[in-house]
Amino acid sequence: MSNPSSNYFVATATIAAKLDYATKVAQRLSLTASNARALTLRAGQSAAGFRPLTDAIHRLSDITVSSSKKINAIAALLSKMSVEKHRADSAIRYFESAHRDLEGNRNASSLSGVYQLTKDTQAELAISYRKNLQQLAQELDAVEGELRSAVVLKTLCQVEASQAGAMYQDALDNVAENVESIASIIKEQIVFSRQQVAALQ
Amino acid sequence: MKAQKLYENNDHSWIVFGRDVDKPDAIIDTNQYMVVSKNNALLMDPGGIELFSAMLSAVIKEVPAQKITHLFASHQDPDIISSLGLWDLALRDSTLHSPWLWEGFIRHFGMQNITYDGIPDEGSRLQLDDVSLEFIPAHYLHSSGNFNVYDPKAKILMSGDIGAAIEGADAPMFVEDFNAHAQKMKMFHQRWMPSNKAKNDWVHRVRQLDIDMMCPQHGRIFKGDDVKRFLDWFEALEVGLTMDKHPA
Repeated sequence: MSNPSSNYFVATATIAAKLDYATKVAQRLSLTASNARALTLRAGQSAAGFRPLTDAIHRLSDITVSSSKKINAIAALLSKMSVEKHRADSAIRYFESAHRDLEGNRNASSLSGVYQLTKDTQAELAISYRKNLQQLAQELDAVEGELRSAVVLKTLCQVEASQAGAMYQDALDNVAENVESIASIIKEQIVFSRQQVAALQ
Repeated sequence: MKAQKLYENNDHSWIVFGRDVDKPDAIIDTNQYMVVSKNNALLMDPGGIELFSAMLSAVIKEVPAQKITHLFASHQDPDIISSLGLWDLALRDSTLHSPWLWEGFIRHFGMQNITYDGIPDEGSRLQLDDVSLEFIPAHYLHSSGNFNVYDPKAKILMSGDIGAAIEGADAPMFVEDFNAHAQKMKMFHQRWMPSNKAKNDWVHRVRQLDIDMMCPQHGRIFKGDDVKRFLDWFEALEVGLTMDKHPA
């Protein structure tokens, strides 16, 4: 999208779609965490060092899923508000055009009430829109921070996988790769959304 | 957008809006109607989004916004009522009268303030101060949930798509030569009207009404003897002719 601020309702819908995708991907992290736990149980003592890491993967998964859901809800609300704001903006333009056209007509002032009401709605939507946009930016920053731990987690997992013996090393390495790859996909959506949000602010 | 008074007596008037020379060429020309009584006004088939700006100015030139307390949509088509989302901000306390069948569909155009009054299949009445208007069933002509508005005092029938013709924005407002005009209506009725049975039932019921003027949503208004000419022509016309255009 070349200029998100001129198409703000399309931009917010795009952000909402990206974050919806991020939420779905985050749910895959939860599956990876469960698989890792099952693997360490099967591997027994040889994967003892890996077990605490599965808790960390679960934690990362929980935080990512709940944050993604939260920011997705804000983005969906922003998208809805953008459409309402666009409708109010259009109505105000039409009311102003009618007012110019009706100059000198005895009924011209009859539109003043609805014009003011729509202006008020537009102003409320603008305030609420900015507030939600700011909140979305903060939430995106927070979840991005959490995702940074995925790289460390991957390295620790690889170290522990190498201690687990040949039978489980590949499977545990795969868990490590999954954690990083899922986190990377989510991060991609978050970075895109942050850029779009910054352009809208 | 031109406005022309069709009828006026001491308790109400009828106004037609149309022939908008500023409308984009690619959209079909439409006629909008308004009944104005002592304290209220009913705006009928107010049109699409593209027309909203011109229509808003045109109707406010006639009456203050607060006086437009009722809207009517004969059916759900975009050229009839896609401007609803904007009227919803302009006429917040008004009531939209439209077929019950289409409520869930029409609300897609945006309706947070206006009240929806679903017209039952058998039709109903609307009292506008001293004026009693009748919502006459015209189902399947062309929409499956469809109404006309009849004013017994003014002897005017707002007939929606019945009697419609596709013409340019410079066409006269009234039918002048019925036979010539019939050629402009033929394809519209044969293609858009799906049922001979529904058509003949409507013709039978409408013949019993006292009508001086029949006002369609597209094209020209029929006056006097042209109303009967139209009913005869429509009764004789085979409609719903599309299947023979396709290979079996």
